[in-house]
Amino acid sequence: MASKIVKNTGTPLESNTELATFYVGKALCGIDILSIQEINKNFDVTTVPQAPDYVVGVLNLRGRIVTILDLGKKLGLSQIEKDKRNRNIIVRSQDEHIGLMVDAISDVVTAEKDRIEPAPSNISGLKGRFFKGVMKTKTSLIGILDIEEVLKD
Amino acid sequence: MIEDDEILQMYIEESLEHLSDIESDLLTIEGDGENIDIDIVNNVFRAAHSIKGGAGFMGLTTIKGLAHSLENVLDLIRNRELVPTPNRISVLLKGFDKLENLMNDIQASNDEDVSEYIEALANITTSSENGDEEQLEIEIKETEIIESEDITTDDESQSNNSFFLNITLADGRVFPAVSQYSVDQAKEDGRFIYLVEYDLIKDIHNKNKNPTEIFDSLEKTGAIIDSRIDFDSVGTLESNQLFSTIPFQMLFTSILEPDMTTTLFDLEEEYIHVISDDMLSISNETDEVSGMKAMPQKIVVATKPLDSAKITKHVVKSEPKIKAKIQPAPGKKSEPILESETMEHTNEIDNDSINSMNMSSKPMGSLRVNVNLLDTLMNLAGELVLSRNQLIQGINSSNAKATELSSQRIDMITSELQEAIMRTRMQPIANVFNKFTRVVRDLSQELGKSIDLIIEGKEVELDKTIIEAINDPLTHLVRNSVDHGIELPNVRESAGKKPTGKIVLKAFHDAGQVNIMISDDGKGLDPDKIATAAVKKGLMSEQQVSELSTKEKIDLILLPGFSTAERVTDVSGRGVGMDVVVTNLEKLGGIIEIESKTGKGTDIQIKLPLTLAIIPSQIISVGNEKYAIPQVNLDELLRIPASQVKDRIEKVGDADVVRLRGNLLPLLNLAQVLGIKKSFVHPENGLEYPDKRESIADRRSNRVDLNGNSESDNDSFKEDRTGQDRRYRAASAINIAVVSAGVHKYGLVVDELKDSEEIVVKPLGRHLKKCSGYAGATIMGDGKVALILDVSNLAQMAELTTMAEAERTAKAARAAEEARDKAKDKASLLLFKNGPEHCAAPLNLVERIERIPVSSIERVSGKKVVQYRGGALPLYELSQVANVSKLPETEQQEIIVFTVKGRELGLMVTPPVDAVEIALDIDDSTLKQIGINGSMIIDGHTTLLVDIFDIVKSLNPSWFEDEKLAAADMQESGQKVILFAEDSAFFRNQVKGFMTDEGYRVITAEDGEIAWNILKERHNEIDLVVTDLEMPNMDGFELTAKIKKDPALSHFNVIALTSLASDAHVKRGKEVGIDEYEIKLDRENLMKLIRRYLNM
Repeated sequence: MASKIVKNTGTPLESNTELATFYVGKALCGIDILSIQEINKNFDVTTVPQAPDYVVGVLNLRGRIVTILDLGKKLGLSQIEKDKRNRNIIVRSQDEHIGLMVDAISDVVTAEKDRIEPAPSNISGLKGRFFKGVMKTKTSLIGILDIEEVLKD
Repeated sequence: MIEDDEILQMYIEESLEHLSDIESDLLTIEGDGENIDIDIVNNVFRAAHSIKGGAGFMGLTTIKGLAHSLENVLDLIRNRELVPTPNRISVLLKGFDKLENLMNDIQASNDEDVSEYIEALANITTSSENGDEEQLEIEIKETEIIESEDITTDDESQSNNSFFLNITLADGRVFPAVSQYSVDQAKEDGRFIYLVEYDLIKDIHNKNKNPTEIFDSLEKTGAIIDSRIDFDSVGTLESNQLFSTIPFQMLFTSILEPDMTTTLFDLEEEYIHVISDDMLSISNETDEVSGMKAMPQKIVVATKPLDSAKITKHVVKSEPKIKAKIQPAPGKKSEPILESETMEHTNEIDNDSINSMNMSSKPMGSLRVNVNLLDTLMNLAGELVLSRNQLIQGINSSNAKATELSSQRIDMITSELQEAIMRTRMQPIANVFNKFTRVVRDLSQELGKSIDLIIEGKEVELDKTIIEAINDPLTHLVRNSVDHGIELPNVRESAGKKPTGKIVLKAFHDAGQVNIMISDDGKGLDPDKIATAAVKKGLMSEQQVSELSTKEKIDLILLPGFSTAERVTDVSGRGVGMDVVVTNLEKLGGIIEIESKTGKGTDIQIKLPLTLAIIPSQIISVGNEKYAIPQVNLDELLRIPASQVKDRIEKVGDADVVRLRGNLLPLLNLAQVLGIKKSFVHPENGLEYPDKRESIADRRSNRVDLNGNSESDNDSFKEDRTGQDRRYRAASAINIAVVSAGVHKYGLVVDELKDSEEIVVKPLGRHLKKCSGYAGATIMGDGKVALILDVSNLAQMAELTTMAEAERTAKAARAAEEARDKAKDKASLLLFKNGPEHCAAPLNLVERIERIPVSSIERVSGKKVVQYRGGALPLYELSQVANVSKLPETEQQEIIVFTVKGRELGLMVTPPVDAVEIALDIDDSTLKQIGINGSMIIDGHTTLLVDIFDIVKSLNPSWFEDEKLAAADMQESGQKVILFAEDSAFFRNQVKGFMTDEGYRVITAEDGEIAWNILKERHNEIDLVVTDLEMPNMDGFELTAKIKKDPALSHFNVIALTSLASDAHVKRGKEVGIDEYEIKLDRENLMKLIRRYLNM
């Protein structure tokens, strides 16, 4: 995993959040790194018949049952393509761990408040309501995901 | 006050236990009315008594006083001097409630005011003593801690009753405030009253005794009226003999004479005082106050400065540990002092620590565990340690065998340990249920309703945490039933119901869950009103509501928000806080189901799942995934070999059923229900292919589908079909887990049956909550997740498609099966033996059974005959015609006499000869030969069915010449045609044989329906109808009725054949128009009848 560690300089969280960024389809998305429990590439999932189509399956994460969601499908895009670069981002939400399967992990970037703008209604085919905002960098546009909104069933 | 925490704790626990029993007992007493069950009253009395005794010992004066008053009333009830009316019981109940209150806050108990209760109780006692039986209106206000002025006023009112006595001992000491009533009672009964003084230090502590033991042993010989600690004699702090004695005085009545008492009490004589009348004096106002009321105050006053001084000291030193120890001592009153002083001296102590200290003195939070169970746990822990040592040793020395052995041991110990620990947590649901008797009683009284509460399944055990958590939701539901479910008596009567309503509270295990049912026979819920209310509240639109089913409308009351507005009593009332109930239950993973019929009542079912437990389960697999089926749902495992699939699995309608021990069991294909793409591994190339069989029973054949194409999957593997058919490999056997859940019992078709394992249930994430087919997930030994199947929900899911069909058809099939069984011909047979062979013959052909001496048998012209009733009876034996053993030679010969063609003949047989009535299930091929119709199994023996006609025909063809002629005649004059309906193949062939022998042409039909269809089409050729009566699909009665009703066919004569013609049968037959009855296999008479009806 190519990652750049940016030291937390102690400034208030709002203005300087570290974002773990990753690709869902072509879109570069990011979530607050503090909401991430871990990132793994354990795809030994048990499929759950009759589950919603965005559920990849369930995974044993050190004795805990974690539901793995296909983030592409969940966000209304096509399924995440099976690839060596696929990863599960395990996040904590409402007292449970949920895994988000993404196409690939990208860098960790520092989100500066003044560079974050409200999300447009559409980011690379993703609905705007999933995003807290977008951050422009020199080379790319990072959609900052609203995890709770994404995880709503 | 005694400060020994342990003893106090024990006392509180014991008392609370007593109190919980008391409640239900009191309610029983109330229910019994005048016919009191003395045992129950005694139970309550004893309980109150031991509470009182302990309280006296602990210095809990308020509790003692209250318990004493309660005891007085109970004593009156026990002596049948007082009828336990609801009012009186109410007072008692409230008194005991207060007692429980006091127990729960024991430290503050002495400061509580209970005079109201005591007064109310005293009123009951006095009213009975005065012979004044009128009902007293007794109101007890909820007590508050009252000011000291109030105490005086209360005491004044109390003293007016003046039924307390003081006992003055010879040395001037006074035992104050003894109930005059108890003393009088004792005197009346001629008992002696003793004042016994134990020294808590010398007599009890130093002798290693325990006050309760003493109480118990004394209670065996008499009764303890009162007890107290004589604080005055303890000595003062100043004196040097501090705590040298703590006299514990006990007023004891017994019939035992004074000279026996030293042994009884195990005390020196000087400590036992026999109380005489002159020692008694009526307690005056001040005395009483000092006895009953002033004492606690004194103590508080005495302890207050002491405690706060100590506390201050410790706080200054900042030693919270020591403080915690002191904390239980001060009552509520001293608390403010503590806090204020704490604040003054230090900031370190915050309120939290004080609260936590208070918590530590709370009596709850402990659990009684059987000592045996603890011992077991201890043993297991010991074994575990040993096994661990072995395991470590095994691993260190790389000794595979030792490691394996110890892992086995650890496996065993773990499961035992687990079970033992689970058992410590299990508690009967009675703990929750019992209190509802009281809830229902109080509430119904309040509301003026009459309600019977029936509690079932008290013994069902649940995990402690669940027991605690279901308390509130259940209370809510029961209250709802009482409040809104059951109508007022007059309303009920006008609705044609019994004035007394009924609420049933029931717990039972089902489908691996604990089910709790709360049913009432009240007015039920009105779905439309609920729907309207939901619309009004804006929870749903008119449109949405209109699309709901009745059940869905009722379920609306569970919606959050439905109840937030004012109580919806106009809508049958339920719904107040139902969403809270649902939330609470959901936290436990439970579900709630409501069924209600307007006007009839409401059933609320709560299902508490197995999530808290470790459950044994069967692992199965479908596709690539493993699934777990809880063992509780599993009835059996079934493997149907490939060769039997065709016979045992049938398709009824849309659904598959399997034949299991004569029953048809609906099958559910797990892959289908879950929508798993089935695949199979091709045995030759090892590749996976999708399985395209549509039904389990599908076996490959070159079927052509509707479009005229041959099935595609056949083409792809055609070459493989050489040699042994792949379908008959072991792997293509069908594996079925027979499961049951509630009403459903079905077979779950799975790919593989694996091991049985103990699994730990883990919940599924919220995104999978909607997948109702799973009860959770678990982690297998290989680290993969396996889903746990919810058998009952699976059935429900499938019900939408195949299940209902399967069940319906299975039911139909079962019914048909039953009908078939019923229709199976019962016949009376005569059993006998022919040498070693078991034989049988129709009983109705048998004339007599005789035993003759062999010597009387004569041989005349090659035939055996015996002189019999003035004629010669020809004798035959079976071996003459059939290929059976010859009869052994004996001195006596058993002979069965048959009548054939009006002539008698005897068949020589071997005993025993016995008659039975059984259903005929004849194999008419395997052993059929001349003289033998066939065989069947009777009592485990293959029995040959002897055909007497055949025997006679082959031995005496001349007897049948008439028939031959008649047949020949018929051939010439035109054959007569008989339609013969008979479901049993055996009888069909037999009777058809009789008929064709005589020249008739016979059209056979397997049942009435077929016969009917034949008759309709070909009635022109048919001359006569002969029918069996009991047949599937359409029986003989129905067939006859149809024939007689149809104008085109009504001219047909119908002869009914039956194996057992009862009068009822004959009557019914005549009604539908059966012309004649004949018994099956009575060939001659049948033929006679046929000839008669065909005018021959």
